[in-house]
Amino acid sequence: MTKIIITIVLLVTSQLFSQGQFEQGMGKAFALWGEGKNTEASAVFERIASAEKESWLPNYYVALVNTTTAFSTKDKDQMNALLTKAQSALDVELSKYPNNAELLVMQAMIHTAWISFDPMTNGMKLSGKVMELYGKAAHIEPNNPRVVLSKAEFEMGSARFFGTDIKPMCLEIDKSIELFATFKPQTVFHPKWGVDRALEVAKTCKK
Amino acid sequence: MKTIITFLLFIVAIQSNAQTEISGKVTDEKGMVIPGANIYLEGTYDGASSDENGDFKFSTLETGTKVIVVSFLSFETFKKSIAVANFKNQTIKLRESVNALDAVIVTAGTFEAGDKARVSVLKPLDIVTTAGAAGDIIAALNTLPGTQTVGESGRLFVRGGEADETQTFVDGLRVAQPYGAAANNLPTRSRFSPFLFDGISFSTGGYSAEYGEALSSVLTLSTIDEPVQEQTDISLMTVGLGIGNTQKWNKNSLTFNAAYINLEPYQKLVPQAVDWNKPFQSLGGEMVYRYQFRNGLLKVYGAFEVARLDINQEDINQSEKVRFDLKNDNFYGNASYKGTFGDNWNLHTGLSYGLGLNKIGLNSNQITNSENAVHLKMKLGKKVTERIKISVGADYFVTDLDEDFTELQGETFNVGYQNSIVAAYAESDIFFSKKLAMKVGARASQTSLLDEFRLSPRASFAYKVSKNGQFSFAYGDFVQTPRADYIKYSGDFQSEKARHYILNFQHTKDGRLFRAEAYYKKYDDLVKFETPVAQFNSVFTNEGSGFAKGIDIFWRDNKTFKNTDYWVSYSYIDTERDYLNFPNQVTPSFVANHTLSLVTKHWIESWKSQIGFSYVLNSGRPYNNPNELEFMDGKTNAFQNLSFNWAYLLSQQKILYFSVSNIIGTDNVFGYQYANSPDMNGQFQRRAIGQPADRFFFVGFFWTISENKKTNQLENL
Repeated sequence: MTKIIITIVLLVTSQLFSQGQFEQGMGKAFALWGEGKNTEASAVFERIASAEKESWLPNYYVALVNTTTAFSTKDKDQMNALLTKAQSALDVELSKYPNNAELLVMQAMIHTAWISFDPMTNGMKLSGKVMELYGKAAHIEPNNPRVVLSKAEFEMGSARFFGTDIKPMCLEIDKSIELFATFKPQTVFHPKWGVDRALEVAKTCKK
Repeated sequence: MKTIITFLLFIVAIQSNAQTEISGKVTDEKGMVIPGANIYLEGTYDGASSDENGDFKFSTLETGTKVIVVSFLSFETFKKSIAVANFKNQTIKLRESVNALDAVIVTAGTFEAGDKARVSVLKPLDIVTTAGAAGDIIAALNTLPGTQTVGESGRLFVRGGEADETQTFVDGLRVAQPYGAAANNLPTRSRFSPFLFDGISFSTGGYSAEYGEALSSVLTLSTIDEPVQEQTDISLMTVGLGIGNTQKWNKNSLTFNAAYINLEPYQKLVPQAVDWNKPFQSLGGEMVYRYQFRNGLLKVYGAFEVARLDINQEDINQSEKVRFDLKNDNFYGNASYKGTFGDNWNLHTGLSYGLGLNKIGLNSNQITNSENAVHLKMKLGKKVTERIKISVGADYFVTDLDEDFTELQGETFNVGYQNSIVAAYAESDIFFSKKLAMKVGARASQTSLLDEFRLSPRASFAYKVSKNGQFSFAYGDFVQTPRADYIKYSGDFQSEKARHYILNFQHTKDGRLFRAEAYYKKYDDLVKFETPVAQFNSVFTNEGSGFAKGIDIFWRDNKTFKNTDYWVSYSYIDTERDYLNFPNQVTPSFVANHTLSLVTKHWIESWKSQIGFSYVLNSGRPYNNPNELEFMDGKTNAFQNLSFNWAYLLSQQKILYFSVSNIIGTDNVFGYQYANSPDMNGQFQRRAIGQPADRFFFVGFFWTISENKKTNQLENL
């Protein structure tokens, strides 16, 4: 009897304790990211990932922080290092959840970063894969605003290149803005970014 | 009871409050501090980032033994079990990741093309967008330094070596008959459609112990692991039709293509200096099937080609033209598996089979031959640490040739041979640091026909001298069984030998690549005979020898001019050989001392077009003029060829393609055929061996049908 009680007590306290730690840790990481301290934010997410094997969120943010940093880097060595880091963090979660639409979008973003890294080499090879990933994500969560936005934005890039009409993509961007308005993330830490980007892209449509 | 529980809870609480401090410093191997490194205990929230002095400090409630993890971009992640209680003021040295983009790589002798290569000299796309290459992998590689343009052959001649000194491998497995059928003195093409391959590695010497039976060069092609999407490709060309299709399922995929080529309509339109009874026509196809296992990939590749041609060729020794009628049937197939298992082990194994059937009519004489070639391969690799990789492997080659020569209403002579080679090799890749790397290995082989054992050591080193520049050095011994033309008559041979020394400098920066390579190559035990051509009663010896030395320079730049990519290759070679029936050591006829090529590609946005030019210039090639006393003393005029291509995107999936080779119409002469005996004035008459036509025009329409409307066959052109 005593043993059981002790076990229960210990379990409950440790779980509560860890819940608190998760929230505290995530909160701290987001705060650092918000201050533009990307390396530190990525480090905190990485630590949380090592402690919380059940949640895909910490590694997702390791990938997201490093990929967005890579997009704004000019140094090719640094960009390669950042994208490699992002990819290895994402790989951990994608192998567990191959049908998670947010993770698929993340993978497409990493590929897109590689395309911008060296369009001549990577463009042909990866743009098909990016479209395939968005296609798969859209199939799983057709009303996820990030899926709709990212897919439309990527298609817009090549439509501009070939000088074809971008109107259908603009309609999709508008649709994503509507979806953002009603989108409710599962928890406060689930992905919810994108509306600012959508509004920005929508502006280029009006020009 | 209650007191016990309270007591226990109290103890738990006390323990939780017993915090331990962990502290230290993070530096690189040279002791320079690393700020911003992430230090934490694995499986916990406890950790910190190092400050600007590389110092870190954090407290933890953990006790006992835990794993401390230190990670930082571009460095190897550090992991170590520590006693939490006494880890204070420790210095952790991180090692630079040798996988970083700027780490040293062993490059001597090798040109990489493809996605997997870190420094790629050519991109897969280049094979198909190089003007004058017309989608032929070999023709595109012939724009790289170290190769010779041998217009009447179309094959790869590397650094003073004959074409058959290059071995070709697909997914690691040997291709015994890599070239298409052709008549004497007319260029052939590689059998492979560039469309199925995404990795090409072309080594001009000093290659790995994994490859054998090649004196000069190794060309390895890898088929695409995973096709991007389902699609159908249709091509309509002035020389024929093609179709391709890719299907994808959950774990497997299938790609096939087929092409029918018929040069007849084209040759009716554009007159040729060739007297065809029936111009070249062929039906060929390739397919790749892939199955993705959890930890590996199985690929099955198959290719077949049925080719026919019938031609009348001039011969200075015959008053009438010689009729050459060829039926060639070729099949090549392989199955390979590449996968990982256990603790950082990898396995690459496979089997290939090649069958070549020729039926040749020479006037009224007939030659039929069949060649069967098998290759079995097994390679095991183990990543011992991030810095040490070892691999061991074995090969088994069997070749069986059977040839009948039948005279009109006469006798039939049969020749042939069967040869099997067993080889084993071991090799190790070692990174001493991010700056210094080494690859050492050896290959042992036993050849049944020659009954001989050979051991060939190989070694290469690379040292990084600056952020963007590095030197490499390679050394190796190479052996090869003499070619079928000789061993079909006799088994009394030794392997031919070559030894390579290569010094390479490479500098890469921002879309620009410069490499210079100096080499010395020594040939020994080359086959000699005393008759005008090798024949059944020739007396063969292995007493030939030779050397080749030279400098190869390559420069590629896609940065300086907007939307323009260009590369320049220059090769200087000094080589002499005493082999075949040569009376003394001379430069063989396929060698030009100087070779220059310039390839440019320019994208014009407003025209939706890619326009490319290739220019090749060779100094003259030697030929033997029996009217002169000295052997091989003649020299042809310089060779030059300017080619142009234009790919126009009609829409995202439709491309119109136009190309013309030798725009300026230079009348290139490759060499001369001299009469066997002098005429009445005591002069040996001659005949020039030249191009079948001054220019070659090509128009094609390529259409891709797929869900994703973005891809097109620009890749395949």
